[in-house]
Amino acid sequence: MKNIVIGQYAPGKGFFYRLDPRTKIITVVFLMVAVFLLESILQVSIALFVTLFLMIIGKISIGRVAKGLRPLFVLLLFTFSFQIFLNREGALLLSQPMNIGLYSLLGVLVLTVLWRLLARFKKFKGLLFLFWLAGVYALFAYLPAIGPIFKVFDFEIYESGVVTSIFVVVRLLIVISLSTVLTLTTKPTDLTQGLESLLRPLKRLGVNSDDFALIISISLRYIPTILDEANKIMLAQASRGADFNEGKLVEKVKQIVSLLIPMFIIAFKRSEDLADAMESRNFVPGKPRTRIHELSFGMTDLVTAIFTVLVFAGAIVLRVLP
Amino acid sequence: MVMQLSFLEIRNLSFSYNQKRMVLKHIDLSVEKGEWIAILGHNGSGKSTLAKTIVGLLRPAEGSITVDGTLLSDETAYDIRRKVGIVFQNPDNQFVGVTVKDDIAFGMENLSVPRAEMIEKIAFFAEKVGMAEYLEKEPSALSGGQKQRIAIAGILAMKTDMIIFDEATSMLDPTSRRELMDYIRELHDEGLTVLMITHDIEEALMADRLVVLKDGAVFADDTAEHLFKRPEAFREAYLELPAALKIYYELEAAGDMTPPLATTLWRFGSGK
Amino acid sequence: MAIRFRQVSYAYPGYGLGNYDAIKNITLDIAAKGEFIALVGQTGSGKSTLAQHMNALIFPTEGTVEIFGKIVGPKRDRTIKYNELRRKVGLVFQFPEYQLFEETVEKDIMFGPMNFGVPEEAARKMAWTALDLVGLGPTYLKRNPLNLSGGEKKRVSIAGILAMEPQILVLDEPTSGLDPRGKATMMDLFKSIREATGKTIVVITHDMDLVYEYMDRVLVLDKGTLAFDGTPDELFRKPNLETLHLDYPATIRVLSAVAKDLGIAVDIYQKDVAAAVSAIQKAVRP
Repeated sequence: MKNIVIGQYAPGKGFFYRLDPRTKIITVVFLMVAVFLLESILQVSIALFVTLFLMIIGKISIGRVAKGLRPLFVLLLFTFSFQIFLNREGALLLSQPMNIGLYSLLGVLVLTVLWRLLARFKKFKGLLFLFWLAGVYALFAYLPAIGPIFKVFDFEIYESGVVTSIFVVVRLLIVISLSTVLTLTTKPTDLTQGLESLLRPLKRLGVNSDDFALIISISLRYIPTILDEANKIMLAQASRGADFNEGKLVEKVKQIVSLLIPMFIIAFKRSEDLADAMESRNFVPGKPRTRIHELSFGMTDLVTAIFTVLVFAGAIVLRVLP
Repeated sequence: MVMQLSFLEIRNLSFSYNQKRMVLKHIDLSVEKGEWIAILGHNGSGKSTLAKTIVGLLRPAEGSITVDGTLLSDETAYDIRRKVGIVFQNPDNQFVGVTVKDDIAFGMENLSVPRAEMIEKIAFFAEKVGMAEYLEKEPSALSGGQKQRIAIAGILAMKTDMIIFDEATSMLDPTSRRELMDYIRELHDEGLTVLMITHDIEEALMADRLVVLKDGAVFADDTAEHLFKRPEAFREAYLELPAALKIYYELEAAGDMTPPLATTLWRFGSGK
Repeated sequence: MAIRFRQVSYAYPGYGLGNYDAIKNITLDIAAKGEFIALVGQTGSGKSTLAQHMNALIFPTEGTVEIFGKIVGPKRDRTIKYNELRRKVGLVFQFPEYQLFEETVEKDIMFGPMNFGVPEEAARKMAWTALDLVGLGPTYLKRNPLNLSGGEKKRVSIAGILAMEPQILVLDEPTSGLDPRGKATMMDLFKSIREATGKTIVVITHDMDLVYEYMDRVLVLDKGTLAFDGTPDELFRKPNLETLHLDYPATIRVLSAVAKDLGIAVDIYQKDVAAAVSAIQKAVRP
């Protein structure tokens, strides 16, 4: 639990690292909107290629971005299957009668157990899952209709289903990649400072973006400390027999309380200490301060802004054109 | 009559958290510029409360604190904190920045020091505490002793004349403790005024003068050599003498003391 | 032997062996009765990591730890009730703030025993016994643990583990943050617990004076490896302890200065002030 890295920031050199965080935030937001304005599969495919191209010229490892996508794999898969079965227009591409019967269900059960057992060999997790999926399909589709059959239905895929699902997934991929590029190339502090600077107009509405940015950066700084501490408290209570994995519900509640109360008490003590430390170093809330981090809008930012405007305008034109 | 004020003048200072029990009782203390004072006391003797009162984090019930001629009040606390900094006990709970650089900058940012000057000073003071190579490091990658050194650099960068160390070494292991003390000694040699709150007698020996607190009041205020001549005072203040001096007094009581033995034990015990 | 480490290594996830707080290839035995062991080493040398293996809080990355006959290896073994091992080997963490959470001292101490299925009334009795063992009177039972002083909190947290009636007691830096007098009382407390119960006690500490005066076995960790396992006498008779990042106890330092300055033959290996005084007397008296 030591040295937990916050966000996905990976130090590096390249085009995106040199950009002002404000430019990056605005660019990413605009590009995301632009992607949502696109309508055809051709357009999003081009957009995907442009995104990939940008990553290559920005010297961002596509593997790293893909790694960032991994936790969202389930979401993508869900979206994909949802779209593929929901859209039932256009040409019928596949129609396969499926039998759900005793033997096929038993087969699925055996397959699932096999899959879970094999999944312990972590290397081929994704591949195994695909095999499992194919196996389930094969069992329902091709197992002879013997034994009791509970239900027969037609497994159908239409053209629109395939098109829409690819469209939606590619669009999602672009959006996620863009935000990954942002967090990958921007330090959390720069990100908060960029946000603060962009939120500055809100000052007129009484929101102090300065203090807001400080709150965020201090929170970021203490997340690893607090996680480390939570882990130690959990171990300390586990030493007193509080097993967070087992136990009845009532016991579980008590065990969680035994974790939360020390965490809160330590956090209160810490905030007192921190307030003292900040005050003793002459921090006065709301008072203007200079900054060691300075944002500077340079030539690269200008070029990026122009590019963004062009892309955004292009997307609108495509949308408006018949 | 013109009175020559010391750098830090504490007069008749009392403090209580809840009116009932006085944590500090009528404290008088003066510290000259460039001096190194150790404040010794048992747990709960009011040492840390005194430290917080000096920089205006706590408001005294009565008495006055004057720093470099300025009387501490709500209005002057800001100016006084430019002259007196404080390093607290818990290294983790005072590290404000996301990186070492940010943390050294924090105080200067609050004083609205121009950025170019900050960058220069960060480099200079990081070097001073031996942390020049760590500027971009995050706190989780630093040891407790390193965090304390960063805290010192951040305070020095605010042009402070005096640093209060509030049991700043108590959460460190002996090696990091010694390292930190060496840095403090170097800074003191360059003119830093040091007020060191501790219950480690060996650490206290590095000071010019020892102030012993007992139950919130100044029990003794003298050089180590003078204080050690009154071993009973140490016991009364719930403190322990260094081992060499314990041996010294037991030998003396048993009538087995010889002059060379006395010299060695005394020199060893008082760190001189 | 109650605990047997066999070639135990542990690395924190994401960091290789040899990094902060990792331990490497540790083999050692701890008896269930009567040992008083100091575990020493620099910050980051792996002391706490080693201690957390003693009650199966963490599992070795390599090697095995046998705890009261159960073999704990890198993989979770479904036939082992790890909770039972944690009851047999009680581990007290450095900061009592990590464990105190109930509104009364009594309830807090009862938390451990009740987690192990001890009925309420019996747990209450265990809490009373444990509180007495750590030297706090029954007046503390109904007090809020969070309002106690630092030293009292430490005692309550120790009582919280003692109430589980562990056979071995492991304490992570129990004397840190206490003033010299507090340290000595804490060590006297362990001595009395040991005399009263015969339990083996393992204490993590940085204080060599305490190690020399109180303990009868020292384990020295240096960068994650077990650099020494023996008696304090053997350890402090070694030259160049600095290479292990350790100090000599004050008595040895004072007596060797005396021997050197006065050119007399003093036995410098004395555990406390009284012994040091008589050693000097023996050397100087005609």
